Amino acid sequence: MTDIALQTRGLGVKYGTFHALAEVDLQIRRNSVHSIIGPNGAGKTTLFHALTGRVRASSGRIELDGRDITDTSDDDRVRLGIARSFQVTSLFPNLALRENLRLAAQGRTPWQALAPWRRAESNAEALAIADEVIERLALAPVSNRLAGELSHGQQRRLEVGMAMAARPRVILLDEPTSGMGIDDIEAMKQLIRDLGRDHTVLFIEHNMGIVMNISDVVTVMRLGRKLVEGTPAQVRDDPEVQRAYLGNMITGDIA
Amino acid sequence: MNPLDKPYAQLALALLTVLVLPLFLKSGILATEILIFAMVVAACNLLLGYTGLLSFGQGIFFGIGTYVAGICLTRWQVPVPLVLAGAAVLGAATATLVGWLSIRRQGVYFVMLTLAFSQLFYFVAYTFSGVTGGDNGLLGVPRPSVGGTALNAPWSYYTFVAICFVAVFAVLVMVTQSTFGRTLLAIRENEGRAAAIGFPTRLFKIEAFAISGAVTAFGGALHAMLIGVAPLSNIEYHTSELILIMTIIGGSSSLFGSVLGAGFYLLLADALSTVWPRWLLLLGLVLVTVALFLQRGLWGLVERGYDLVFRRERAPETPAEEH
Amino acid sequence: MIYLFQVLNGIGLGMLYFLLAVGLSVIFGLLQFVNFAHGAFYLLGAYLTYDLTMRGFSFWAAMPLATLIVAGLAALIEAVLLHRIYKLPHTFHILVTVGLALVVQELVIIAWGPLGGSVPAPEGLQGVVILGDFIYPQYRLFTIGFTAVLAGLLWWLLEGTRLGAIVRGGSESPANMALLGYNTLRINTAVFGFGAGLAGLAGALAAPIRGVEPFMGIEALSVAFVVVVIGGMGSYTGALVAGLLVGVVQSVMTTLWPEGARLMIYVGMALVIALMPRGLLGRA
Repeated sequence: MTDIALQTRGLGVKYGTFHALAEVDLQIRRNSVHSIIGPNGAGKTTLFHALTGRVRASSGRIELDGRDITDTSDDDRVRLGIARSFQVTSLFPNLALRENLRLAAQGRTPWQALAPWRRAESNAEALAIADEVIERLALAPVSNRLAGELSHGQQRRLEVGMAMAARPRVILLDEPTSGMGIDDIEAMKQLIRDLGRDHTVLFIEHNMGIVMNISDVVTVMRLGRKLVEGTPAQVRDDPEVQRAYLGNMITGDIA
Repeated sequence: MNPLDKPYAQLALALLTVLVLPLFLKSGILATEILIFAMVVAACNLLLGYTGLLSFGQGIFFGIGTYVAGICLTRWQVPVPLVLAGAAVLGAATATLVGWLSIRRQGVYFVMLTLAFSQLFYFVAYTFSGVTGGDNGLLGVPRPSVGGTALNAPWSYYTFVAICFVAVFAVLVMVTQSTFGRTLLAIRENEGRAAAIGFPTRLFKIEAFAISGAVTAFGGALHAMLIGVAPLSNIEYHTSELILIMTIIGGSSSLFGSVLGAGFYLLLADALSTVWPRWLLLLGLVLVTVALFLQRGLWGLVERGYDLVFRRERAPETPAEEH
Repeated sequence: MIYLFQVLNGIGLGMLYFLLAVGLSVIFGLLQFVNFAHGAFYLLGAYLTYDLTMRGFSFWAAMPLATLIVAGLAALIEAVLLHRIYKLPHTFHILVTVGLALVVQELVIIAWGPLGGSVPAPEGLQGVVILGDFIYPQYRLFTIGFTAVLAGLLWWLLEGTRLGAIVRGGSESPANMALLGYNTLRINTAVFGFGAGLAGLAGALAAPIRGVEPFMGIEALSVAFVVVVIGGMGSYTGALVAGLLVGVVQSVMTTLWPEGARLMIYVGMALVIALMPRGLLGRA
C-alpha cells in the first residue's frame, strides 16, 4: 500500500475549447489535510468535479489508492471511498437532520435501498453512522429538526457531515466555511483538523487563516494549472504566490 | 409531523373509508368506483408527492389494465387472479418503458413527454381496433366469481374491490415507509445531492414508475370488471388528466389525501353531472381555486382541522415542492 | 404525384404546428410557464372564425378578428389571474391552465354545441390550382404562403427587434428586466396575449381545412408538445424544423397507413427521444 491516497497525472478538463483544467499533477498523502487555494476561476471547483466524477476528465488519469478511476462513474466513486461537500449548501431541507445523514450513509449501499419492502430502520449500520456523525459535529440537540430550519453554521456543518457519513477514505470539502460567522469558523477549523486524523482531507478554502493553520500541504492554482505546492510556510514565502495574490491575501499565522 | 400522517393512521383511515362508504352511499357501483380510483390516484401520488414527478401518463397504465381484463376475460376465460396479476405486470413493464424514456428529460419537458406518450398509447388502442375493439371497446367483461357464484350484485363486488383496495393501500404505505420510499423523498427534495451521496437516481425513478404503473393497471382491470366494458376512454388523455386532477385536489403530501381526492371528484361528478351536463366548467373553476387557495389540497385542510380541534401548534404552511 | 400532394399538405399542416409551438415557446421563454390552455386558445380561434363566417363575415375579416379576440382574452386572463401564480411550483401552473382549458372547452360546447361544423374555404380561394396533371386546393396553397410570410415576420420579431430581445432577456432574469426599467407586468401580459394569439391564429387558419369540433384543442396541445420536445423550447429553428417534420410525417402516413397516421407522430417522437434524448438540435 502506497502512502498516496489520491493522485492525478496530467489531469485536464475542457469545456468546449476552454481549458478549465490543464496538466494537473497532484499527490494527496493518506490522512493528511491538503488545501487548494487560488483566485476565482483558477479551476478549483472544476478539479473537485473531475475528482468526484461529476465532469469527465478530457485528458490524464485519476488514481485512488493506486487504482485507475478515471472512467468510473460518480456514484461508483462514492462506493470506492470519495465523498464531497458542496460550496453552496445542498441538503434535503424538508427532511430531518438525522434522516439527511442516514441517507448519506445509506448511499454507500444504494442497491439495498431499491428494495421497497425493506424498512429504513433495518439498516442499523447507517443509523449508527448517522448518530456517530451527529455526535462528532455536536449537533445532537437539533438532530430531529428539519435541515432547512437549522442555522447557517449548523447547515454548513451538516454539509460536511453528509460527506463524512459516506465513510470515505478521501473527503473533499468545497469552501466549508463560506458565509460563516467567527464562532462557527473556529468550530469548523477544529472539525477539519480532527477529520485529518482518520481521513484524507482535500479542501478548497478562501480563509487563509484556516488554510495556513491546519494544512499539511497547500496547492496554489491559477488559470487551471498548478502554480506552487508545499507546506504552508513554503507557499507563503513563495515569490510567485505573493505576486499572484499581490501579497495581501495570505495573512494567517502559522501554528 | 401530524399524527394523521403516521403510517398506521393512514392505514386506519383507509380501512375506515371502506367501512363507511356503504353506510352513506346508495350506489354500490359509485362506492366501488371510488375505491378503484383511490388506489389509482394513490399510485399517481407515489410519483407526484414522493418522487416529484408529475406524470400526465397514468391513463396509459389504467387503459392497459382495462384491456388486459377485457381481452383475457372475454376471449380466453383466464382466471381472475391471473388477470389481475397479468395487468399489474404489463402495467409495470409499460411504465418502466414510458418512465425510462420520459425521465431522459427534466422538468416541464418531462411533463410534456408523459402527455405525448398518453396520446401515443391512445392512438395505439385506436388504431389496432381488432385487438381493442376501437371506439366500441370490448363488451361483456364478466365480474369475478367466488365459490361458483359471480359477484354480480354491486355490493358483493364492492367487497371484493374493498379487499383489493386495502391490500394495495397497505403495500403503498409500506413502499413509502421503506428505505426505497425514503430515498424517493430525498430525490424529490434534492436530486443532485441524492446522486452525489451515491444513489443512482434514475433507477429509483424508474422503479417508482413501475410500482405506480402496476397499481394503476391493477385498478384499470378492476374497473373493466365493474362496468362490464373495456372502453377506449379508459386510455384517453382525459383519464390521465382525471387521475392527476384527483391527486392534486386530494393533496400530494399523504397517501390518504389521494383517497379524499378520488372521493371528492367522483361524488361531485355524480351529484353535478345529472343536474348539468356541462359541469366540467365548474370543475375548471375548482381547479383554479385549489391552486390559489388550497395548495396542500384536501389533506391540507384535514391537517389544519385536526390542529384546530386538538389545539396543537399549527404547522407552518410549507409551499409545495418544485417539480 | 400523390406524394407531392401529401408533402405539400404536410408543409401546410407543419406550419400550423410551428405557429402553435412558437406561441408556447414564447410564453415559456418569458414567463417560465407551461401553458396547458394553449390548445384551448387554438380551439377558440377556430370556433370564433366559424362563428363569424356563419354570421356573414368574410373569412378575411373573421381570421384577424378571431386572432385579436383570442389574444385580448388571453391578455385579460393573464392580467387578472395568471400573474398571481407565477411564483408557485409548476404543478399549479398546470392545474390552473388545465382548469382554464376545461372552462373554455365547456363554454365552446355551451355556445356552439358538441357536434362541431365546417368552415368553407374563403371567397377567392375556393378553387384549385392546376399545373399540368397536378391539382391542388388554392386555400391550402395560400396557408403555406401566408404562414411562410408569418414565419419570416416572427423570425425578424424574435431575433431582430427589441421585443425579441426583451422576451429572450426575460427568460434569463425577470429581476434584471425590472432593473433595466421595463414594466415587466405589462410585458408579461402582452407576451402572453401574443403567444396565445398565435395559437388562435393557427386555429383560425386550420378551421377551413379540418372544420371545428370541441376536442380539437387537446390534439393541438399534444402535437405542440411533441414539436417542442423534439425541437427544443425557445428555439425558433427547432420549432420550424420539428413542426414541418411532424406535419410531413403525418401527412405522408395518411397515404401509406391512414388509420396509423397520427400514431406515427408519437412513435416518431418516441424514437427521437430514445435515440437523441436532447432533441433534434441537441439543445436544452
